[in-house]
Amino acid sequence: MSCTLGEVKNRADFIIYWGGNPAECHPRHFTRYTLTQKGKFLPRGRKDRTMVLVDIRETMSAKAADIFLQVRPGKDFEMLTILRALVKNQKVRAEAAAETGLTLEQLQDLVNRMKAAKFGVLFFGMGLSMTRGKHMNSAAALTLAAELNAFTKFVAMPMRGHGNVTGADVVMRYTLSYPFGINMSRGYPRFNPGEYSTVDLLVRGDTDATIVIGADPGATMPKPAIEHLKRTPTIVLDPKVTHTSKLSRVHFTTAATGISAPGTAYRMDEVPLPLRPALKSPYLTDEEVLKRIITALQKKPAWQPAVKGGEQIA
Amino acid sequence: MSTAVTPEPTKHELHVVKHAVCTFCGCVCDDIELHANEERIVETKRACILGESWFKHHTAERLYPDALIDGKEATYDEAVEVAADILYQAHMPLVYGLSNTTCEAQRQAVWLAELVGGVIDSHTSL
Repeated sequence: MSCTLGEVKNRADFIIYWGGNPAECHPRHFTRYTLTQKGKFLPRGRKDRTMVLVDIRETMSAKAADIFLQVRPGKDFEMLTILRALVKNQKVRAEAAAETGLTLEQLQDLVNRMKAAKFGVLFFGMGLSMTRGKHMNSAAALTLAAELNAFTKFVAMPMRGHGNVTGADVVMRYTLSYPFGINMSRGYPRFNPGEYSTVDLLVRGDTDATIVIGADPGATMPKPAIEHLKRTPTIVLDPKVTHTSKLSRVHFTTAATGISAPGTAYRMDEVPLPLRPALKSPYLTDEEVLKRIITALQKKPAWQPAVKGGEQIA
Repeated sequence: MSTAVTPEPTKHELHVVKHAVCTFCGCVCDDIELHANEERIVETKRACILGESWFKHHTAERLYPDALIDGKEATYDEAVEVAADILYQAHMPLVYGLSNTTCEAQRQAVWLAELVGGVIDSHTSL
């Protein structure tokens, strides 16, 4: 269950940020969408809203929060599960609550506030989705928000990072029916994170060529993954010569998205926005380079999924 | 065009782009005002610190060759041929990234993955 940031601005009187540091990573999130803006149903803006920050350390964002809850590292899933139990009025032992680094009273107070809210939002960042528990944490956060709807309106939204990563999810969803990690080697889409996700593929050495568009895995990925990118032919499309370009066979310089390349980008709440580039690039856009590669590929005999003894191999 | 004469930053008339969209982070703020000349963005209004450095960091200068093959300068056409060959010959090619690009390019990337029977994945899986 989610909503647009416009709805948050106009309606949300209770906002939780979990495992994120918007003050430094999404600097205008507070001022443009969530906290300080006056909304249709929140005429006094910040005064009408309550903000809770849950994180393992007191970041810059804690200054903007009404309540800061410091969860013990790696105990997010436990904390979410206790909150879900408390939402349903189940008994929770004080020692179980203490495991999370917080007291039962603090957690009960949070649950009371969540239930009393008119419109609550839970924004969760990479501190939740990329640490111990990973997608189980995200699932628990989404379930908590869903279950709160028995009492009030409550939504959850991931704090997406890199520009148009939301667009990638949306485009893959409406073309291939899954959001990421999709294998087309049998001619139809198969989805299995952990098997077809990039880091896993590269670390296991399953791929024999890579084309990287608007990313720099050579600077961010674990070493065995980078080693595999070096070992196999890699193609890069980027406005700059990146770390990945340096270990790749082919590099294309392309126009910078939104600065000199036009197109569409999705905001983290899945609202598409048309880009208005201010500069004219001397380079081709990613779109144009990909189109040319596709045209070159189409001149070759069509690829068919491999078939051996009546059984498909991939 | 690439003659880098910096002392007099080619004072072409500055043009103003209103409601420009910043694609640095997931907020995708669409209320930015940009003042730019032919070569670079010189002023940003309403952008945050991250947005401002994002806009000022990218210019329309020709700092790199169109393409590189094995580290050597090449034309787009040459690089396209080599890239197509690599992807065509691969049994399990991977199309990766897609964050810092437009939805239009993402559509092409999906088509490419389908055409070569590969895996397509984004930053989401990290």
